[in-house]
Amino acid sequence: MKLEILKRMVLFSIFIIAASCAKEDEQIDTEKPVINVSYDNAFPKSCAVLKRGNTYIFRALATDNTGIASYGVDIHHNFDQHTHDDQPGVCPLDPKKTAVKPMIYMQNFAVPDAGTSYEIYREISIPQDIDPGDYHCQISVIDKTGWQSRTSVDIKIIE
Amino acid sequence: MKYLLVGLVFTIGGFFGYGQKHFSISGSVYDADTKDLLPNVIVKLSQNISRTNAGGYFVINNLAPGSYTVQFEKLNYEIQIASFGLADRDINVNIYLDKAATKIDEVKISQLSKDRLARESSAVTYEVTKDYLDQNRENTLMQSLQNLPGIQAMGIGVGQSKPMIRGLGFNRIVVSQNGIKHEAQQWGSDHGLEIDQHDAGSIQIVKGPASLLYGSDALGGVINLRSLSVPYSNGMVGSVQLLAESNNNLLGTTFGLQARKDRWFYRARFTLNDYGDFKVPADKIIYENYVFDLSDKHLRNAAGTEKDMSFSFGYADSSFKTETFLSNYNAKNGFFANAHGLEVRTSSIDYDHSDRDVDYPYHTVNHFKMISNSTLIFDHHELRLNVGFQNNVREEHTEPVAHGYMPKPVGTLDRRYVKNTLTADLQDEMKFSSKHSIVFGVNAEYQNNGIDGWGFLIPSYDRFTAGVYAYDKLEIDDNVFLHSGLRYDLGTISTDSYYDWYPSLLGSDMKYLKRASDNRSKFDHISAVAGLSYIRNKTNYKINIGKSFRIPLASEFSSNGVNYHMFRYEKGNQDLRAETSYQLDAEASYENGKVGLSLTPFINYFDNYIYLNPTANYFETLQVYEYTQNKVFRAGGEISAEYRPFTKLGMEATAEYVYSRQMNGLKKGFTLPFSPPFRALFSVNYLFNNIWFLQDLRLKTDLRLSAKQNNIVPPERTTDSYGVLDVALTAVIRAFKEQHPTIRLKINNLFNQKYFDHLSFYRLIEVPQPGRNASISLTIPF
Repeated sequence: MKLEILKRMVLFSIFIIAASCAKEDEQIDTEKPVINVSYDNAFPKSCAVLKRGNTYIFRALATDNTGIASYGVDIHHNFDQHTHDDQPGVCPLDPKKTAVKPMIYMQNFAVPDAGTSYEIYREISIPQDIDPGDYHCQISVIDKTGWQSRTSVDIKIIE
Repeated sequence: MKYLLVGLVFTIGGFFGYGQKHFSISGSVYDADTKDLLPNVIVKLSQNISRTNAGGYFVINNLAPGSYTVQFEKLNYEIQIASFGLADRDINVNIYLDKAATKIDEVKISQLSKDRLARESSAVTYEVTKDYLDQNRENTLMQSLQNLPGIQAMGIGVGQSKPMIRGLGFNRIVVSQNGIKHEAQQWGSDHGLEIDQHDAGSIQIVKGPASLLYGSDALGGVINLRSLSVPYSNGMVGSVQLLAESNNNLLGTTFGLQARKDRWFYRARFTLNDYGDFKVPADKIIYENYVFDLSDKHLRNAAGTEKDMSFSFGYADSSFKTETFLSNYNAKNGFFANAHGLEVRTSSIDYDHSDRDVDYPYHTVNHFKMISNSTLIFDHHELRLNVGFQNNVREEHTEPVAHGYMPKPVGTLDRRYVKNTLTADLQDEMKFSSKHSIVFGVNAEYQNNGIDGWGFLIPSYDRFTAGVYAYDKLEIDDNVFLHSGLRYDLGTISTDSYYDWYPSLLGSDMKYLKRASDNRSKFDHISAVAGLSYIRNKTNYKINIGKSFRIPLASEFSSNGVNYHMFRYEKGNQDLRAETSYQLDAEASYENGKVGLSLTPFINYFDNYIYLNPTANYFETLQVYEYTQNKVFRAGGEISAEYRPFTKLGMEATAEYVYSRQMNGLKKGFTLPFSPPFRALFSVNYLFNNIWFLQDLRLKTDLRLSAKQNNIVPPERTTDSYGVLDVALTAVIRAFKEQHPTIRLKINNLFNQKYFDHLSFYRLIEVPQPGRNASISLTIPF
């Protein structure tokens, strides 16, 4: 009968749906990369003091289960104390002030062959003519899947 | 004696009866609360008096076409009067009588014909009555509905939430109020629905493809808010409700009245809610490596206010009905001060000096609507015209901070959007016979969005869409209904270019970056639906297949810039095509008054789901998210069981699950963002004996269980399982002679559990859901 057919259609589609849900998932990557900024050679560490006109080697260790794909280094002022770093301890801050010529460093680097463990190693010069004061150094890393980790360190740039 | 009047226009075409055959009105009479069949109910049709039999059944035979008013009367029950239009077939209805002690504060929506229509429809629909809403009222409309199987609320604190149906939200579902699509979803996840929930009379929820009647966006379903029914008797009725809550110190009131004078009627409503910061069962929020200490467990700056008003007036006679609605929703909500989106903020603002004030960051929303609904009945036609104008304005205010190359901006206006929408919908429903009807419709919408502020997310745009459709319903066999429909839509969207107001370093030059380009895209789309429904006594089977679509948003086309709140660079894609979805739905349900069972599975396939993909690349030092289109497979469903072993006890268990998987593209194998976890609800409802002046004393407990959500995509986090218990006690106070106030005490999260909601805007920054909340409300009718 028609009605039986309809009933069977409904039951059949329920079965199909149940069967399609039961299919096993393939393995997907759900792990974020990890950034280490506290090992011995890491630089800068929280509350580090940098001098204008000097060049420093920024070092941090990135690890991930699938592979590091790219990283970014962002140095921006914190003269208005808009945020704080995510490291343990509190760094002493100068009084708030208005930025005149703050240092802005925003660079990213693709590292397609980085593998699962990669040490960020980058020379950065602190220009002579920028505003001294409190800055943040943010290091961020993306893995091949698109998971990103960020960490941020309070630093001070002096004359 | 208080009369409860229920208008029931089952077949409106019957006012113009044709043919000289005779028909019958028959049906079953139930207790509205217990759903028990009621024997010995006096059924009066002028001089013709009969009674329901032992099975609660009645029949009145030999009626010529015309309109009839039938009165149902039983000791200890409110008298109910129902009108029927008898046209060309017998009418079979269910009548629900309220206990005499139950004072209904407003004219009750008849659920009878809607129930039947819902069963005849091949779409999987769910009818929510005003009673359900009143008994399950939460702070927002979506929170009031989120215990329904397959319905989820995406929350932003306690004062705002967005709807989700089976895991699809934002612009993939449609919210319609008084027949006009509510336009409020285009602006991202951090704001709510912009609707006064008290304005809704009853709600129809379509869980499945509905582009056929609603056009673009109705891929996942529709939440259709209907107005209250026309007041049935002359005179004025109204009610005022007072509400207080402990968790966020909310104080609220809503005042509504409606009146009728012969064929004219009007209604008005004012709603006011004011609340402080909500409390979470935690002393600190730990987000990545940041630790935010909370003052007295308050989520600082989560306070807000909501002020709504609405007014409508109308005219109704047997062949013409019109009503014009004017409404305004206004809200101001603060956002958690320490982190908004993913952005961690410190501020010198003393947020903790008061838990009621709203400081930066906050937003204001105003949504004005003017809607007109008209229905004209002539011959076999029912002509419906709905016209609407909506204006919504949203402003987001943040403390100005330099970001990247952007210097510290002047003022606090981060973003401002002004959106105007004009909608018109004309339908002609033709009833050829009792077994066959066709709806023809045309629908057009024009929308204009303007922007301001120093932050940029969505460009200015103009959007025009128009559609024409036909929907056919045919009873192919006794109680077997075949539904089919076809629709054609055309749309254009033009976005305006936008340049940064500050220069950025590009290569070796400082340049004003272009973040949106002038673009004009055209779309056309064919939607279709076909389905069968079969009703056999207490059982109902449905099968439905539909194709629906969505025109991409302006932001999906042309964003090209930094979203600082989410700390990402969003890149639009001008090659996006209209999103297309195919869905197969089925339903098997059974209801015998004591036992109710329902199973509603679905399979859904998207050709080209628009997905904001987190790439492995940077722009400056922000991760690039790029709009792409992927094939997506989804499946799932809901199962529910109700058991009412005796009149005073009702038990309900529901469970829901959605599985989603991206079938190709860079996130192949991953789920979709905001995938709802497996959820179950156990609900027990008990009616106590009257205690002195407390009557209709009712206890309801809801145990909400949610499984762990491990299916995530970047940048989401997995969310643990939880179980939360809510308890509510309601009673009617019969201390006065005429009007009987209703009191409701409710405790949400009774055990003050700390838990996370995977669908909350605050999930990403590790903010738990609100702690224990006791609320008391008093509704006084007059």
